[in-house]
Amino acid sequence: MSISIRNVWRTFGEGVTAVHALRDVDLEVPQGQFTVILGPSGSGKTTLLNLVGAIDQGTGGTLEVDGVDLGGLDDKGRIGYRRTEVGLVFQFFNLIPTLTALENVELVAELTGDDGAARARQALEGVGLVDRVDHFPSQLSGGEQQRVAIARALAKQPPILLCDEPTGELDFETGRMILALLRRLNRENGQTVLLVTHNAAIGEMADRVVRLRSGAVVEDRTIADPVEAEALTW
Amino acid sequence: MVKPLSAKLWRDIRRQKAQFAAVALTVFLGVTIFAASYDSFQNLTASYEATFTGFRFANLTMQGGDVEAFAAEAAATDGVESVQTRTVADVPMQVGATKFLGRVVGMPGTDSDVNQVRVIEGAAITDPGALVVLVEEHMAEHFGLHPGDTVIVAGQTVAVGGSVSSPEYIWPARSRQVPFSSPDNFGVVFTTEETARALAAAGPNEAVVYFAGGEPDAGLAAGLTTRGRALGTTSVFTRDLQPSNEALQEDLKGFQEMALFFPILFLVAAAMAAYVMISRLVWAQRPHIGVLLANGVRKRTVLGHYLGYGLVPGLIGALPGAVAGVLLARLITRLYTGLLAIPVTLVKFYPATLAGGVVIGLMAAALAALAPALFASRVQPAEAMRGNTPPGRGRPSLLERLIPPLRKIPIRWRMALRGVGRNPRRTIYTMLGVVLSLVLVLVSWGMIDSIEHVLDVQYVEIQQEDASVRFGEPVGQEQVDLLAGVPGVAAVEPVLEMPVTLGEGDTALDTALIALPADTVMHRFLMDDGSWGSLPAEGVLMGVGIARRLEVRTGDVIPMTIAPLGVTVEVTVGGLLREPLSSVVYASREYAAASFGTLPATSALVSYDPGADPSLVRAAVTELPSVSAFEDAKAIHRMIKDFMVLFYGFVGIMLVFGGAMAFALIFNSMTVNIAERNREVATLLAVGIRRTTISRLITAENLVVAAIAIPIGLVAGHWVSAQAMASFQSELFTLDLFIRPTTYVFSAVAIVLVALLSEVPGLRALRRISIPEVVKERSS
Ligand SMILES: Nc1ncnc2c1ncn2[C@@H]1O[C@H](COP(=O)(O)OP(=O)(O)OP(=O)(O)O)[C@@H](O)[C@H]1O
Ligand SMILES: [Mg+2]
Repeated sequence: MSISIRNVWRTFGEGVTAVHALRDVDLEVPQGQFTVILGPSGSGKTTLLNLVGAIDQGTGGTLEVDGVDLGGLDDKGRIGYRRTEVGLVFQFFNLIPTLTALENVELVAELTGDDGAARARQALEGVGLVDRVDHFPSQLSGGEQQRVAIARALAKQPPILLCDEPTGELDFETGRMILALLRRLNRENGQTVLLVTHNAAIGEMADRVVRLRSGAVVEDRTIADPVEAEALTW
Repeated sequence: MVKPLSAKLWRDIRRQKAQFAAVALTVFLGVTIFAASYDSFQNLTASYEATFTGFRFANLTMQGGDVEAFAAEAAATDGVESVQTRTVADVPMQVGATKFLGRVVGMPGTDSDVNQVRVIEGAAITDPGALVVLVEEHMAEHFGLHPGDTVIVAGQTVAVGGSVSSPEYIWPARSRQVPFSSPDNFGVVFTTEETARALAAAGPNEAVVYFAGGEPDAGLAAGLTTRGRALGTTSVFTRDLQPSNEALQEDLKGFQEMALFFPILFLVAAAMAAYVMISRLVWAQRPHIGVLLANGVRKRTVLGHYLGYGLVPGLIGALPGAVAGVLLARLITRLYTGLLAIPVTLVKFYPATLAGGVVIGLMAAALAALAPALFASRVQPAEAMRGNTPPGRGRPSLLERLIPPLRKIPIRWRMALRGVGRNPRRTIYTMLGVVLSLVLVLVSWGMIDSIEHVLDVQYVEIQQEDASVRFGEPVGQEQVDLLAGVPGVAAVEPVLEMPVTLGEGDTALDTALIALPADTVMHRFLMDDGSWGSLPAEGVLMGVGIARRLEVRTGDVIPMTIAPLGVTVEVTVGGLLREPLSSVVYASREYAAASFGTLPATSALVSYDPGADPSLVRAAVTELPSVSAFEDAKAIHRMIKDFMVLFYGFVGIMLVFGGAMAFALIFNSMTVNIAERNREVATLLAVGIRRTTISRLITAENLVVAAIAIPIGLVAGHWVSAQAMASFQSELFTLDLFIRPTTYVFSAVAIVLVALLSEVPGLRALRRISIPEVVKERSS
């Protein structure tokens, strides 16, 4: 699916205390593109993902997905969109504490058809978690929790994948494995991926790198021949 | 307190204002009940005391025997202030068309009168020989009697001089054995001693003794009682056992029990409500507490901070609660003394109650906050900042294991099932709320049910007669047959009723023996074990209350003295009765005849023909010259319900308060259940689960918890009610707990409805959840 962001603003508060988390952002993301969004802390990366994920709304401009204006959707429409079109990996995981790893993934997998349990298992295998699936989030390490969060987003095989710092808690090896997985799924299924990170090195594996500063796009660069994830170093 | 912490306290309270308000409400209700019942009890006791001294209510009354000799002896005894002899007789009376066995009481008329009366209307009698009576106020009111009217007393037409109130008839009881009579069946008139003797055709038969200052003196009473028995008394009783006073004290005692029980129950419930809310708050704030402690904030400071969460709603509830209670006490006292026509009403302001109410309310809230506050101060920073792990392994819930098909339902529904076990705190706190609520509701409702059941047992199941008839003089079979011949009368059973004394010495108990036909169908005998029995061929049946008092069991043999016949016989206790409202002993006429010679009838039980008009039967029966009184069974049933009006009123208020408290408890459980899942809900919304689905999931989980808690609550409610009822047992009443099955069902359904209703604000708030704000918070 293609994403079209035009003159988007997101302002928190009013008057002197107003914070412009996004200022006049313009981005056209074609279907199947793997985009890395870079930027210092507070630059608006999470805010941008939230808008594309339809869990937040802009205060100006338009945001279209496959020609559908997200701003024009009612509550029901937005839920339906989130349910079937996007997979979200939160910066801070947000796993349900009373569900095991497997159940957390299954819960979301189920939303997009039968056979949720099998797809959940498959997704967890994909992120390298096989033997700890019956543990509760609090019994998992930060990195393991992060992988559950990624599996949860992947399990429903969404056309759009939004990942907020998916490798923030992971060691180098595991991080690279996850990135390779994301890239493979992107190639195999034509998923559109927006991946937020602090880590500029990750930009080298992307089709495109967008850099934000103080809510504005300060760099937008297409990469002609990205390196394989396995070849990344940092 | 550290300044930012007090800011935190107020902000937290403001953020959860509904929950804090609910806790304040429970404290308010608890303190109100405490202050209201405590002050009412003090006021009522003081009112009775003032009435007793104001009217010089006898400390001891001796009936029958050589009363003049007794009076002379008593007058010479230390500690006796005044003694009088007087004539008291139950004589046939007629007011308009209503005939009944009334009572005429002679007033010797000296300055030191014992058992004075107060003239309400009309004037005191000045001429000792005048045929004038002063009518006791209940009778005057029932028949609308005023000065200038006439009534027939013992066949003579006498003038009504006015109406009076008397400490002996605040509750118009004929005797200890017959504490309830309808006003159509019993009334009291006072007249001069001279006129009383003339009307009763008898001399003084009662001595009344007033102790120094009216103060009870058990030793003095015991000494005089022994003398009285030696002088042939048929009955001697202290003020406590005076029929009217005993009934009233019984009522007051019941009130006292409730005045202690309900405040404790309500304050415990209030404390529980505060405890649960603060515990949940502390639990949710563990990571912040960990951070505070890690940064060197003192444990004492943390402790004080969380105690504040109890003290603030405690104070907000206790202050107005104490004031409301004190005001409510005034209302209750006035209602009570007004309804029972207690001549003196003393309503005082007791500052101690006000202060005590505030202190008790604050203490309940502080104690409730103590455990969670201590917990907070002992939080291990490192541990607190890690999430909490649900207990057990991550396996399917018990329900899924028991019902395998449940494993096929979508995971989101299984999540609701699994959440119950995986969030034990939430589950236990919710269950606690549900259980407490059911206890609060069932206790009062159970009392109402039990009383109605007892009346039902007594007047529907045990007493089968439609009316009872009293003869002026003991009669033979021919008069009984005459009664049976009255149109509308289907059957008659002759009854002999005699005053008897059971046992001997200090434990002797004055009561009445009722002899009924061995094959009586008008009175059924509910045995101690709950079965229906019949009169034994030998011996007597007695109530469990009497047996307990006499310390006898079935098969024991005890002496029974029948004063009018001047005989004492040894009788066998043939069985114990669970008769709720009776303290007499029963024997068969055949056994009584064999033991004491042939017997006349003093009264009779009557049943009507189907379709007979009770008022016509009454009119025809009271036309019979031998008949002095006629009591309709339904009228007496109504009468007792009237007596219970206070009980119903008080327990009714408790039911309303309990209901309000239950609502507060459930409301808190439900709102917190939802509020603490904010983050979970935001995540579910973010991944595309519909709000309605989420609402249903939460509701399902809450209902599963409620379903587990309800049976426990019903059992707990039953148990607490049983404890409450146990305090009502006495020699006069046997009250067993009986809760209607429908009461259980209604209570359970009400709790579920309240739970669903309580969810509404919380679920509404879900609509306002800002997903980005919630999901970006670092998880706890
Ligand atoms: N609800 C809010 N109210 C006010 N300001 C907000 C709100 N949410 C975000 N902001 C501000 O918007 C800006 C962008 O926030 P955002 O979370 O998008 O940053 P980010 O680029 O994801 O940072 P990080 O790398 O630290 O996660 C920040 O300055 C933040 O303070
Ligand atoms: Mg961010």
